Amino acid sequence: MNKNNLDQKLRYNDAGNVHMDFHGATNTTIEFIINKYGIDTMNDIFKKVGNDVYKDIKHHIKKGNIKMLAKHWQHFFDRENADYNISINDEEIILTVNRCTAYEHVRKLVGNVSPNFCDQTIKTNEALAENTPYEIKTEILGEAACRQTIRKRA
Amino acid sequence: MIPSDHFTRFYNEVFKFLEDQGEEHLEAYWLEISKNQEKHTLELFKEKGLKGMYEYWDHIRIEENCDMDLKLDDEKLELRMNVCPSLSKVLDNDAEPMKRYCDHCAGWIGPLIDKVDHHLVYDVIDRNKPQCVVKIFKDKEKAIEEEKNAKLLMKWPGKK
Repeated sequence: MNKNNLDQKLRYNDAGNVHMDFHGATNTTIEFIINKYGIDTMNDIFKKVGNDVYKDIKHHIKKGNIKMLAKHWQHFFDRENADYNISINDEEIILTVNRCTAYEHVRKLVGNVSPNFCDQTIKTNEALAENTPYEIKTEILGEAACRQTIRKRA
Repeated sequence: MIPSDHFTRFYNEVFKFLEDQGEEHLEAYWLEISKNQEKHTLELFKEKGLKGMYEYWDHIRIEENCDMDLKLDDEKLELRMNVCPSLSKVLDNDAEPMKRYCDHCAGWIGPLIDKVDHHLVYDVIDRNKPQCVVKIFKDKEKAIEEEKNAKLLMKWPGKK
């Protein structure tokens, strides 16, 4: 893994044990909301997560400090013991998740993962970048694998 | 990925949406979560009763970083949550907390305890403070008696 030291303080800087079963509850929630209210409602909730819960990261992105997002990614993918690589420079950050432990944990818990499970990443990322000079592109590379890229809009 | 560490803040956004739709929408969701939790708990609770419940919440106490005291005797299990990490995170949040965030806990636990013929007394005490006292009794009459001591007694789908 290619790790980078970033000397910035995260707004949410969790420590202690990790309760992976919460990913199962996320999967249940996604299925429940989509079945009852439709996919647009689910996406609106993820949009609120990106805009409101992660207001601090969004604020940094707006100011051009995209390294705060890199720090967030590193902190939480490390905590969840995911297999990933990250390449960081001032203009662009590329996070490649080779093995997403959230996805794998849900598959182990419930057998089949919601086809919309990765929307939590795609839609939250979109909201984080909305109304900023940057875009975040999330490409699904296969089961439990994706590439997330933040760079300046063309 | 929304990190598992941030699930409760995502949960909070879901609750706010459902509350706007109406009480029955929130209750339907709590029941769905309860059904999901049955997968890890129902057999354990049925087979071992209070001892199984103790095992489950002792595991949760560690894995979810709870400051919680658990006490088991022949008649009841008592969970005294001194600092609830779930509400603590929702209060330490750039998004607005749902005012009745605590209600979800009784909302999913209550129906599950009803299913295994035990009796839940859920005292949230104060919705703005991350603490509560949960008592689960074998005997219904003892639970009814205990309800009189609660400061803010929670209800759930099936118990109004």
